Amino acid sequence: MEHRERNTRYLYLRVIVGIVCAVLLGRLCYVQLIDDKYDALAKSNIMRSEVEYPMRGEVLDRRGEFLVKSRVCYDVMVVTDNIPKTGFDTVRLASILEITPEKLAKQLDKADNSPHAPFLVVGYLSQDAKLLLDEESFDGFYTRFRTAREYPRKIGGNLLGYVGEVNQNQLKRWSHYDAGDYIGVGGIESAYETELRGEKGVSYRIYDTHGAVMGEYDDGALDILPVKGKQIVSTIDGRLQEFAEELMQDKVGAVVAIEPSTGEILVMVSSPTYNPDLLVGRQRGNSYMELLHNQRTPLYNRAVMAKFPPGSTFKLVQGLIGLQEGVLRPSDTHPCSMGYTYGVGRHNRKLKCHSHRSPLNLRQAVAESCNAYFCYVFKDIITNPKYGSTKEGLRKWNEYVSSFGFGKKLGSDFTDELTGFVPTPEFYDDRNNGRWNWGTVISCAIGQGEMECTPMQLANLAAIIANRGYYYMPHIVKHVEGEERLDERFYKRNYTLVDSVHFETIIDGMWRSVNVAGTSRKAYLEGWDVCGKTGTAENRRQYKLNGVSKSAPDHSAFLSFAPRNNPRIAIMVYVEHGGFGSAIAVPIASLIEEMYLTDTIKRPQLVEEIKNTKLNYGYYDYQQQKYDASREQE
Amino acid sequence: MMSKYNNISSRRSNSFFGNVDKVALMLYIALVGVGILSITSASYDTEAASGFSMSHNHMKQLVWAGFSMVVGLVILLLDRRLFHMFSFPAYIVGIGLLVAVLIFGREVNGAKAWFEFGGVRVQPVEFAKIATALMLARIVSDYSFDINRLNSLFKVAGVIALPLGIIILQNDTGSGLVLCSFLFVLYREGITKYIYFPVVFTVFLFIVSFIFTPELIFTVLLIAFMAYSALKNGAIAGHLRLLALLLLASLLIALLTPLSGYTALMIVCGIAAAILGFMAIRLQLRQLLWPLLMFVYAMAFVPTCDVLFSKLEPHQQNRILTFVGMKSDPKGIDYNVEQSLIAIGSGGATGKGFMEGTQIKYDYVPEKHTDFIFCTVGEEWGFMGTTFIILLYIALILRLMKMGERIRETFGRVYCYCVAAILLFHVWVNVGMTIGLMPVMGIPLPLMSYGGSSLLAFTILIMIAISLDASANEESV
Repeated sequence: MEHRERNTRYLYLRVIVGIVCAVLLGRLCYVQLIDDKYDALAKSNIMRSEVEYPMRGEVLDRRGEFLVKSRVCYDVMVVTDNIPKTGFDTVRLASILEITPEKLAKQLDKADNSPHAPFLVVGYLSQDAKLLLDEESFDGFYTRFRTAREYPRKIGGNLLGYVGEVNQNQLKRWSHYDAGDYIGVGGIESAYETELRGEKGVSYRIYDTHGAVMGEYDDGALDILPVKGKQIVSTIDGRLQEFAEELMQDKVGAVVAIEPSTGEILVMVSSPTYNPDLLVGRQRGNSYMELLHNQRTPLYNRAVMAKFPPGSTFKLVQGLIGLQEGVLRPSDTHPCSMGYTYGVGRHNRKLKCHSHRSPLNLRQAVAESCNAYFCYVFKDIITNPKYGSTKEGLRKWNEYVSSFGFGKKLGSDFTDELTGFVPTPEFYDDRNNGRWNWGTVISCAIGQGEMECTPMQLANLAAIIANRGYYYMPHIVKHVEGEERLDERFYKRNYTLVDSVHFETIIDGMWRSVNVAGTSRKAYLEGWDVCGKTGTAENRRQYKLNGVSKSAPDHSAFLSFAPRNNPRIAIMVYVEHGGFGSAIAVPIASLIEEMYLTDTIKRPQLVEEIKNTKLNYGYYDYQQQKYDASREQE
Repeated sequence: MMSKYNNISSRRSNSFFGNVDKVALMLYIALVGVGILSITSASYDTEAASGFSMSHNHMKQLVWAGFSMVVGLVILLLDRRLFHMFSFPAYIVGIGLLVAVLIFGREVNGAKAWFEFGGVRVQPVEFAKIATALMLARIVSDYSFDINRLNSLFKVAGVIALPLGIIILQNDTGSGLVLCSFLFVLYREGITKYIYFPVVFTVFLFIVSFIFTPELIFTVLLIAFMAYSALKNGAIAGHLRLLALLLLASLLIALLTPLSGYTALMIVCGIAAAILGFMAIRLQLRQLLWPLLMFVYAMAFVPTCDVLFSKLEPHQQNRILTFVGMKSDPKGIDYNVEQSLIAIGSGGATGKGFMEGTQIKYDYVPEKHTDFIFCTVGEEWGFMGTTFIILLYIALILRLMKMGERIRETFGRVYCYCVAAILLFHVWVNVGMTIGLMPVMGIPLPLMSYGGSSLLAFTILIMIAISLDASANEESV
């Protein structure tokens, strides 16, 4: 090879080395100086933001004892990418997490769909199990602070509501929530969700490639601390609520007690109820389904949702309207011979009454709960010539009844409330093709027929009478942490269309019913001047027993307040298929009043008797049989 | 040549170190130094308090560096005739070791290329490289050697192919390909363009055939060759229109016939080749034969490539495919390169500072103290640091070439070039893979990557070159 050729080749080779150098430096220049995406990628590699969940606010009762507490628990999360490829002891992990290895495997399979993203393996890990998990440190798994509900008295299932995960609809509706957040469902939890939930925080931490936390990013300068939910003081009297629930056990119905001078709800029982702890944690799904399948509908809050005929308790309203309209004077007497006969000729019909002396004046009629008396009153109200027609009379009557809070939501802070129903002339026009008269609607006189009320509306009626003509919106919350006052609507007196002067007569009748002679004698409490009105509501429920069609027994109701002057408690007890009002509803109401007013029970044997009374619910048993049979078929 | 050795008895040992190339030595020491610094950073354990425990990687590497220096010193003191003398036995031992590891070795990452002695892993291929370089130098420096004679070429091919074959059998192709860098040396030694050009062209075709579709390759080649032909000789320019028509026709055939575009194109290319050949003969244009041959060769080679590719191991296929962006492999090879790029890219101009590299510290870079040690430099010292390191390597390579040029004997020159070629290949492939220019091959960054046997082998490799250069200088004094 020539010398010149050698030099050329040496040169070329150096050029090649130069090119290699230039290409490497050029690429490095691009990667390190020009392309700035790597900075962000490096940051997102090591930094992960993690939602910091707040402690949910607690709920206290009016005496300051806990109805709902929050306890610490943990979500177990996984980033499958960070699980060692060599595998790990799945059986051990499953046992720490208190799940089956099959369930763990299933969850890991699901998590593998997006291997970089954190995935919730299982929630509600106890603090002890969390410590164990930390100790054994499974790569790829970590825990997240959450809180779960705890119920010291295990009362008030429907009243308190429960906490669940937000569903798809809620996620769409409210931007505040992200998947996996908790939200209050039903009861106080849902009514005061915004106050109870607190504010989520966020923390930025540094993670190594195995998913282990290596420290805080930027010493936590960007972190936002979660804010604990507000504490709520409820108007409920926990002790009284528990007592009422015990009295209502094995009975279907509702109890609502209100403090008339404030509208604060002291007791709200919907029976059957359930232990709220059942709807916490991992067993919630199963417990929920079980409750859902129970045809006595423990998840249905009868206290504010049920549509019960008010029965004779409604006679109080009828009397008050009569007095206000001037078609009735307290001294007016009406005859009753085992009922009220109306209609003519072959349409002749009779609305039955029980046996009592006759004729009666208004006070006596209230005390004795005479059906006929209030048929006369009702007829006089709606056929008042002043209004020209029965239709217009009924419209006026509807106006009065509505002013007592019937046929509409009371506007409580309780979200589950339903309206009940007060018939309008249009309703009867519609149903009877415009052909109806006072006789068609006469059963409204005694709270039967089309009238439908919620127990809370009836308890509110008791409060109205106790207040002689007005009510405060019944509400469940007394105080929210950090707030001076509740919503202004709870401080407003809502007057009925009946003047307060008319109430004394009715109250006198109610007092007589308990203290002199009448249907409510069992409610007598010495020295407390209890006033009350029983109700026995017919219903159309039918069921079959051994193939024989049967009618379900009447509902038993009792509306009461005490004492007569400066009343402290107004109460409504409604027991489905409890028979006569005096049979079961009166003693329950009376015992609750005794407990509330005197702090003691002087009739322990009555308490035992009531607690142990197990009503026979042929109707519900039949429904359950049918339901179970249909589920089995599926 | 042998007669020259007779004068060596006049060597003055006290002036020997005066003849050692200080620049090369300093570059070597600098690289080992930054290597240990980088390993210290890459192995930094947030939990271990003491940085001086012997269980730490950088402490182990420090011990290895000390040992390597001693070995290097011994090599510098050795008589250079020994290297020539022992090149053949060394080669035999090297081959023996390669065979032994194939039988008794330990498998790491799918390659059966390691011996393990009490926790110390040794990769014989590191030493086989030295042996092969020595052997190559010896063969080329033989009297009877003429690089452009067939039997000489066979010898060269044999010397390289033997270890290469065994290394491929070990499933360590990456390391084996290093030996191909000796083409660099052969070019310097005057190998004819009729050999190196086809080889380079083949490599070029091999690479592009993975990146682009055959249709595109042929179309571009067709146009390139026609343009070349037209430029070389005006006489053919007139026929270009005809060829353009042919090209158009091929596209039409591709679109209209049931034949696949590929087949249609092959037909058209075949016709074009035939016409070119006809014209070349008819017009007696010899220079046209070259592009014609290349074109025909490409037509044969590209389809063959597919077949060859299908013969590769799945993980090798993966690496190549991922590299050319044809197959996404999250958490696999692609993931490594992505993480490596993030680490280096986030270093910016001046880096995050010593021990401050988050991607390194928190383990996001795989193999961060061995094959991906360059990431540590990139993240912690930024472009400033990477440029510095690259320039150190380039300086060392150029220095070795210069040393080779100034040694009068072929043996020393070839050996120095071999060392330069090995270093160039390692730097190119290793750095290239960390910045996404090359597929991931498990070869270390010379002198810097953690690993005692690798450091020792590169030390020996370089020190022999310095020694050869030093004694040649001394001789000329």
